[in-house]
Amino acid sequence: MGWIVFALAAWALGWLLNVWLARQPVTWWSSLAAPVIFGLTLLAVWEGVVRGFEINQVLLPAPTAIAARIGSSADLLWADFAQTVLKGALSGYVIGCGAAFLIAVAVDRFPFLQRGLLPVGNFVAALPVIGMAPILVMWFGFDWQSKAAVVVVMVFFPMLVNTVQGLQAADAMQKDLMRTYAAGYWRTLLKLRLPAAMPFIFNGLKIGTTLALIGAIVAEFFGSPIVGMGFRISTSVGQLTLDLVWAEIFVAALAGSAFYGVMALVEQRVTFWHPSQRN
Amino acid sequence: MKNMTKIAAGAALGLWGTMAQAADDLTLQLKWVTQAQFAGYYVAKDKGFYEEEGLNVTIKPGGPDIAPEQVIVGGGADVIVTWMAAGLAARERGVPLVNIAQPFKTGGLQVNCLKSTGVESTDDFAGRTMGVWFYGNEYPFYAWMASLGLETDGADDNGVTVLKQAFSADPLIQGQADCISTMTYNEYRQILQAGITPEELVTFNYLDMGFGMLEDGLYVLEDDLEDPAFKDKMVRFVRASMKGWKYAEEHQEEAAEIVIENDASGAQELDHQLYMVGEVAKLTAGSNGTLDEADYAQTVNTLLSAVSEENPAITKEPEGAWTHAITDEALN
Repeated sequence: MGWIVFALAAWALGWLLNVWLARQPVTWWSSLAAPVIFGLTLLAVWEGVVRGFEINQVLLPAPTAIAARIGSSADLLWADFAQTVLKGALSGYVIGCGAAFLIAVAVDRFPFLQRGLLPVGNFVAALPVIGMAPILVMWFGFDWQSKAAVVVVMVFFPMLVNTVQGLQAADAMQKDLMRTYAAGYWRTLLKLRLPAAMPFIFNGLKIGTTLALIGAIVAEFFGSPIVGMGFRISTSVGQLTLDLVWAEIFVAALAGSAFYGVMALVEQRVTFWHPSQRN
Repeated sequence: MKNMTKIAAGAALGLWGTMAQAADDLTLQLKWVTQAQFAGYYVAKDKGFYEEEGLNVTIKPGGPDIAPEQVIVGGGADVIVTWMAAGLAARERGVPLVNIAQPFKTGGLQVNCLKSTGVESTDDFAGRTMGVWFYGNEYPFYAWMASLGLETDGADDNGVTVLKQAFSADPLIQGQADCISTMTYNEYRQILQAGITPEELVTFNYLDMGFGMLEDGLYVLEDDLEDPAFKDKMVRFVRASMKGWKYAEEHQEEAAEIVIENDASGAQELDHQLYMVGEVAKLTAGSNGTLDEADYAQTVNTLLSAVSEENPAITKEPEGAWTHAITDEALN
């Protein structure tokens, strides 16, 4: 009973604090504090409800139990992170986005590729990851290479479409100006068309960050060495160590947010000229 | 006044009578998809054995992403089919499961190696790659490796590389693993169908090696058993289920057809189910449903012989994890 009261009190307190904050003039710390308070309130209510109603930890572990597990299994979590994110997701992301970028430039240069390659890319993008992953595991083996291959297929198409679209962003007047400077194809590409394409390219890169993580984790469900976030999530459910599953989910959320955040930061630096970046 | 009481009593009795006749609802959660591994339950439902016992049984198929232990604690089922290792592990994690019946006397879990890779006996394991399923299948594997003195952290002089294989025989056929886990009634046939003959294979059966773990058993929550009405329901359920199993053993073709009819996914084929009924019949043949205490002890010893962080099945001897109360009443 005490814990349910605690949950209710935490919820009321969080609400009041945020209402009070919303009435204050906006500063950098108050705009940061509001979501933090909301998150902490959610955690407190979660803890109180799990303890108050004595929910079995097999169904939903308390945040404190998850935090304790993160502390005690830090080595394990790091090994899984290195296997899945650093080896699987990142290498696949770099290969997939890099290849898509190069092919997009080629597609833009040769219109017949656009008519031939884009429909095929469209088709590949429509393949569901759970249909593809077992096949790629069979082809590329159980280790991270097959996970990287799944990631390549997943990030390739959004990157390709965005880059092709971006390369058409420079308008006729700008291209005419380059022509009056006697700039050739490569110079126009480097000085005008690629910079103009950057907002689109970063769209593709940002979409790719979350896709890469999903691909790398889900691919591990279909065969893996005995390390990796997807492996741990799927087998820990079988072993009913749900606190470890949640710890992995926490790490995945953290990694995904950080990955996306880094790309957004780079975008801010590179496309400082774009209207959407002006304050 | 006297008449009024009579009428009231009569009405009450009549009501009680109809209530007793209305079938009791009961939900069974399977460990895996609809297949002949669960033929006995489907036969009992289809042939009306459950109906005869006054039960209205719903059979929920499982799958790779369904843990029956989670379903029962969430209230999604009254009774579940699971392996004893998973049941005991759940018990230690606060899900008080109790084994009420054990239709599978022996187990179908084995390890198959290709002779062409040079594996002839357990002495050849060091430096090899072995496929394991996990989801409970890893417990006897780790116990076995520990008893052989092999580490599971990578292939070298005293260790093996462990792969998490999918539920197919592909890794062996593709040459990605030297040995894989198979069930006699499922993946073993896949290997044979891929053109590999039994003579080209080395088979290690966990039971023969003394690392047996009881497979499909019926488990309920301990608290539920304290309710006499629930207990009575389970007695009738176990009696009808065992009747279904014995019927399936004797009428294998009919049992396979019943499984196919009940497969909502439409994924199963008759000839494979027929094979599976035959193999599963070998596993259920020695059991009338009563749990053998010696088998239970062997399972517990297997699990306790290799306790490590990787293998967190159970860390101490379980208590009260099984009862004969249901089978004694149902079968004797």
